[in-house]
This record gives sequence, C-alpha cells and structure tokens, in this order.
Amino acid sequence: MMENMVFAHPHILWLLLALPFLAAWIFLREKGTHPFLHYPDSAFRNVMKKTWKQRLCPVVHVFRLLALAVLIVALARPQSKSKSSSKNIEGVDIVMAMDISGSMLAEDFSPNRLEASKQLAQEFVKARTNDRIAVVAFSGEAYTQCPLTIDHGILANRIRQLKSGLIPDGTALGDGLAVSINRIRQSSAKSKVIILLTDGVNNAGSIDPLTASDIAKTYGVRVYTIGVGTQGLAPYPYKTPFGVQYQNVQVEIDEPLLRKIAQETGGSYFRATSKDKLKSVFEEIDKLEKTKIEVLSFEHRAEAFKPLVWIALLLLLAELAARFFIFKTLP
Amino acid sequence: METSELLKKVRKIEIKTKALSMQIFSGQYHSAFKGRGMAFSEVREYQYGDDVRFIDWKVTARFHRPYVKVFEEERELTVMLLIDASASGNFGTRNAKRESISEIAAILAFSAAQNNDKVGAVFFSSEIEKYIPPQKGRTHLLHIIRELVDFQPKKAGTDIGNALKFLRNVQKRKSTAFILSDFMDNRYEDALKIASKAHELIAIRIYDAFENELPDWGLLRLHDNETGEDFLIDSSRAENRKAFALFRSEENRKRAALLNKYGITHASISTGEDYVKPLINMFAKL
Repeated sequence: MMENMVFAHPHILWLLLALPFLAAWIFLREKGTHPFLHYPDSAFRNVMKKTWKQRLCPVVHVFRLLALAVLIVALARPQSKSKSSSKNIEGVDIVMAMDISGSMLAEDFSPNRLEASKQLAQEFVKARTNDRIAVVAFSGEAYTQCPLTIDHGILANRIRQLKSGLIPDGTALGDGLAVSINRIRQSSAKSKVIILLTDGVNNAGSIDPLTASDIAKTYGVRVYTIGVGTQGLAPYPYKTPFGVQYQNVQVEIDEPLLRKIAQETGGSYFRATSKDKLKSVFEEIDKLEKTKIEVLSFEHRAEAFKPLVWIALLLLLAELAARFFIFKTLP
Repeated sequence: METSELLKKVRKIEIKTKALSMQIFSGQYHSAFKGRGMAFSEVREYQYGDDVRFIDWKVTARFHRPYVKVFEEERELTVMLLIDASASGNFGTRNAKRESISEIAAILAFSAAQNNDKVGAVFFSSEIEKYIPPQKGRTHLLHIIRELVDFQPKKAGTDIGNALKFLRNVQKRKSTAFILSDFMDNRYEDALKIASKAHELIAIRIYDAFENELPDWGLLRLHDNETGEDFLIDSSRAENRKAFALFRSEENRKRAALLNKYGITHASISTGEDYVKPLINMFAKL
C-alpha cells in the first residue's frame, strides 16, 4: 500500500522542516507562557525530590508537535493510487465461426480437428483480452454459441462446449457466415472481424457463401478464412458394430471460395495443414488484427488523509488529557 | 495609587491603628518602656508593690525605713521601625504580608507617639531603600504611614544584616528597634549580634500559613519573588510535602533559637489571623 502512496500537494511537506524550529521555540518560550505563583522563596527546592511528573512535564508539547506533524502530512493530501482501471477503449469485435461438422472429427490433427481448433481458439481468445468476441457454430445449420462478449471466461467455456453432432451434419458455410454477420453488424467497433474456420465444401444451408460475403462487405466486416485439414487423405472415424473404425477420406476444401470470400471482404485466407500450422495461423490473425489501443490510463486516487486526521485528533486529545489531568499544573 | 485613595487609606490605617494603640497597647507599651530611662528624679518611701530592685539602700539605712528611687521617664526614647520591603512581602493567601507589616508598623508608630517617643523608619530590601529619621509629631507620623502604604522598593531581595548595620550607623543612641519582616534571610546573625548589644531589638515575623505547609495541589509552578527564578515542584507526593513542612519547621526552630540566643523578644504573626493578641502577648513578655 505504501508504495502506491502519493501526495497531491507534496510541497506542503516542506512545512515539516519548520517543526524543529517550532519545537525549539516552544521549549524556549515555555517559561514565559505559564502563569507562576509568586512565592516568597525557593530555598526549599533542594529538599524536595524531583518526581517523574516533573521530569515528563514537557512531554505534553511533544504530543502537540506530533499532532501538527501528522496534520501537515494530512494537508499534503496523501492518496493511495490504483491503476487498475481499463486502459483500452477501442477493441476489435471478432466472431469466430467454427465448423462443427462431422468431418471435423478427422484425426489428421491431434486429437482431432475440432478439439485442436477449440483448443487454439481458446488460446486465441485468451490473448485478445481487450476485444469482444462471439462464437458461432455451424455445420448443416448455424447457431450462435456465444454472443459478443468481453467476458473471456465465459467464452472459453462456450468454446469448450462445442461438440460435433449437435445440429444436422453438413457444411453450411453461407449460413455460418450470415449468422456471424448478424452477430456483428450492429457492433459499433471500428474493426469487425469474422474468423471462419472450416474443413469442407459448402453443401448445405439456404444462403450462398458469396452472398454472405457480399453482406459482410456491405457491413465492413473482414472475413479471415481458415481451411483446416491436411493435404490428401485424412483418417476419419466412423462407428461400426465392431467399434470405431478409421477410413481414409480425401480432404476436400473449397479453397477458391474461401480465398474469394477473404479477398472480397479485405481479409485473408489461410490453410492449416497441421495443428502447429493452425496455431501460427491464429497468431498471424492476432498480429493482423492489432487492437488500436488508446491508452487512457485512469488513475484512481483515494484520499487517505482521514486516518491521519483522526490520529492528529487523538494526539491532541491525548495532549489535553495530559495537560489537564496528568500534568496539570497550578496555577 | 492615586493620592486621594492613598490619603483615604492612610486615614483608615490611622484611625484603626490609633484606636487599637490607645485601647490596648498604650498601657502595655507604656509599662513596657516606661521607667527604664536612666534619669533619676527623687526618692520616696517604699510602698507595697514597688520593685525591690529600686530600693535606695543608703537612704533606707539613714532613715531606718525603706526608700525607693524614682526615675524620670526617659523622654528621649527612640523607636525605630525596620520594615522589610522586599518582594517576598507581596505573598499572602488572604492579605499580602506587606499589608500586615504596614498595619503593625502603623500601630507601633502610633503607640510610640502616644508615649511621646520619637519614631523613625528604615525601609530595606537587599539594600536600604529609605530612611526616615526619628522625629515626633503627628505630621511625621502620617508621613511614615504614607510611606508604609505607598512605598515601592527598587530591589527584590532581603538583607536584614545590612539593615541592622545601617541602624547601628545612623542611631548611635540606644533605641527600641522593631524588625518587621518575614525573615526570609539567613545571613544576619553577625549583624544581629552586634545590633542587639547597642539596641533593644524586637523581632516581629510575619508569615503566611501557606508558607509552612504545602497542600496537595499537584504540579505547582512557582516564581521566586526575590530571585526571580521560575521552578516546578510536585506537591502531589506526600514525601515532598513532608520534606517541605520539615524544612519550614526546622527553619523556624533555628530562627527562634538564634533570636533567643541574643535575648531578642520575638513574635510570629500570620497574615490571616488577628495580630492584636500576639502583639499583646509579646509586650507582656517585655
């Protein structure tokens, strides 16, 4: 706490330098300030013992000086500083459109494409702390898994919950894109981005991917497209009465379409043939979509003079108590 | 003090002390100082009650009957008032000691005047502040009283020895000298010894009850009137109060012993109490 202490008026602390002089003055002047009982002689002084009260009598001034010192410090307005407030205002709104079709279960990525994508998407989300992110899942249809939110904890959770087979199988690229656009179109962010992650060819849905890409263009949304899947064959699991069997299936990605969508909307197309590649793709997008951070550093300062004032008050009360009860002098 | 006020006070003291001196003291004073003069006037036959010391044995032998010598009153008896004007006199819980000193001095002056004695006064502090040579007459008396009421000393200290030395110097003839002081001085023994041989000294000590006992008043800031020193004492401690009382009683005992040693009549009068009684007692002792 102490390292966060600052003074709003530190120059007032110079007054502390005057205290020693004040102390000297008080102690020098001490005799003149008190009334004295005029007494005829002083010969008896030597027979009387000096008591602790007599010796400690000047201590009452110390209380007052201490109170004064504390008050000066309080006057300098000590403030405890907390810089925790948000420093960014303008982030990017991102919609992650994830393909959860059955083909995403292909195990050319470990453990499979979907899990790998989910994992990397979570990492991506975690890194973009200042952006609002939504998650849209699509296969035969498309639905919003999570609307635009800054709450990255929830986001990670929702991404983790993505599962293949929740909705009819297929790859409705156009629908996925359209739902994503719908999520983002009313956003007031300057930069709107859709990351479309798929592993197949558009074969379902009611909206043509190119139509969707036109809509995206209209709303000024950049679409980054990622094609997931190795070149050539990929092992694909399917259930048989004898357990899970693997079959090598030709990877089909409609690369021209994805590339076109990216080009038209001002994004770019990436091809991820392995998990590492996918990771670097995300990193690249992360780099491309650098948040414009206007560092609006809000410093929250809490005034901390109150306890000091209380201390000063207590010291003054202590002085009064000492002066009028313990070290009360007559006359 | 304004003149009219001063005169009023002088007048008041005059009336009060004159009445007192007439009613009470004149007899005491008279018998105390009468007939001690040396002027022999005649012899007469002894009567019952005459002092046997004054029997004139030669005449008695001649007439076979006792005769006593009769002395003329000593008309030229001089009364000196040694008045302590030091700053310690300003202290007093009810009356300042100085006021008591003034009143008693005035009574003595009137008593002396009644007796047709010359009265003089010496005001002293650590030095001789003022000397009023002994004279007779009402005007002179009022002059002394005026000074008693209004006198402002220049110095604060007390030097009784110095005053006694001064008395020896200015008063060559034997006189009756009253020392009116609080006797807060302890370096006067030698002067006292010498002066007591030349003069009849009577010591009247004025004190305040607060000087003898210290009440439990906690921390006390005191200012020594005479030295001007400021100091702090703790009266809340019983030990200290006891030491104080012991110190005072020891002081009083020593002073009484000293005065007795040189045969000086002395009386102590507290500022608060009535001074008539102690004075009568003292004169009775003379």
